[in-house]
Amino acid sequence: MLSATVALAVAAFGAPALAHNIGGSDAAFVAATRGPDPLPFMYLGAKHMVTGYDHLLFLVGVIFFLFRFRDIALYVSLFSLGHSITLLAGVYFKLQVDPHLVDAIIGLSVAYKAFDNLSGFKTLVGVQPDPRLAVFGFGLIHGFGLATKLQALNLNRDGLLANLVSFNLGVEIGQVIALSIILLAMTLWRRSRTFEPAAAWANVLLMLAGFVLAGQQIAGYVFGGAVT
Amino acid sequence: MTANQQPTRPLPRGKLILATLGALIAATLIVLGAILPAEFNRDPLGVGKLTGLSRLWAPAETNVDANKGSVVRVHEYATAPRTDVIEIPLGGFLTGADNSELEYKVAMKKDATLIYSWEVTGADRADDFHYDFHGHTTPKGQESMTVATYRQAFGLKQQGALTAPFDGIQGWQFSNSSEHPVVVRLKITGFYDLIPGGQPGNEASVVANVPASQARPNAPAALKSAP
Repeated sequence: MLSATVALAVAAFGAPALAHNIGGSDAAFVAATRGPDPLPFMYLGAKHMVTGYDHLLFLVGVIFFLFRFRDIALYVSLFSLGHSITLLAGVYFKLQVDPHLVDAIIGLSVAYKAFDNLSGFKTLVGVQPDPRLAVFGFGLIHGFGLATKLQALNLNRDGLLANLVSFNLGVEIGQVIALSIILLAMTLWRRSRTFEPAAAWANVLLMLAGFVLAGQQIAGYVFGGAVT
Repeated sequence: MTANQQPTRPLPRGKLILATLGALIAATLIVLGAILPAEFNRDPLGVGKLTGLSRLWAPAETNVDANKGSVVRVHEYATAPRTDVIEIPLGGFLTGADNSELEYKVAMKKDATLIYSWEVTGADRADDFHYDFHGHTTPKGQESMTVATYRQAFGLKQQGALTAPFDGIQGWQFSNSSEHPVVVRLKITGFYDLIPGGQPGNEASVVANVPASQARPNAPAALKSAP
């Protein structure tokens, strides 16, 4: 099961050029849309989430040591609440930030969560930041990333709110789908004997993946172009 | 685990520092050694060249539809292209129109392309020399003639490319209105045929690919000792 984590980490920097944008024919569709078109936007939201490995890696970090359903529901809801707020508000009020910078912070959020899973803050600084607040805060930033990418697509104001809500709903559906798969894999792994000795290393790898994602986006910010 | 805290698996302090620094260093190496060469065409460590990762980089491409729009951008021909240099001596305007003006054309099929460049030597002023760049069909019997005028102007040189609008002859009427004899040096390349002397388009019987002094054997002796 360690190999699964390695595979996930490798996947994170295996295809960076295609870092998850809304592109090609999807972008053309969005640009051509006039008026409310809920189902396609819902699909795009779900697709964006399921194929967005930076969001997925963060979710892996968040639920890594969560065993009780109540906790999982709480943290995932906080994350969803956070990114819904900024996704909707960001697009609706046309807030713009460089997507590379947002994605760099999203990469760092993966590293942060992994570091936190290792009790890094308590061990090194002696203070444990409230993990609920952190998940909510990073949720806000992830949502901002979604908003920035949606805005790059020339959204039409006609039917904007309905389409945004649909897209956001799709993101939540995609998150549930992704989370089910991650949870299933994690549960199977936790039951095996390899979990306890390898858990720490898996988080170190997660931290590495987060740093690589951040570095890649900083490179994109500095040199422009390729990765968005 | 308190109510507001997510459960964690603490690492010993030393191991934690080592692991975090290790992750940072490894990430830096991956970004500098692999991602920068492969995605951004930068190779600060030289690793990209060493591993061949640099070869993965390619500039972003935007495809344009070459067949879109009204202009046909590519023409292919069955015949081989040719290149000729024609030196045309022209007398000063006081020597009469037979000496100071002439028409030089080449025969071209529809959509054939000609690349041209000519320059006048011996004229002092640009408005002493006039050219009429045009083409027309060569009708037989009672047929009407199709004419296309490309440019009529004063000037001492011109360069460009022409794609013939119809089967016919294409070229220039050159008129020297200065008092001095001049030489037009015309370089052409493309898909065309030279017109034999005496036929429409080359009535002055200009000979191609010879020095100016030999280019107009039918002209008065004065032109044969052109500048």
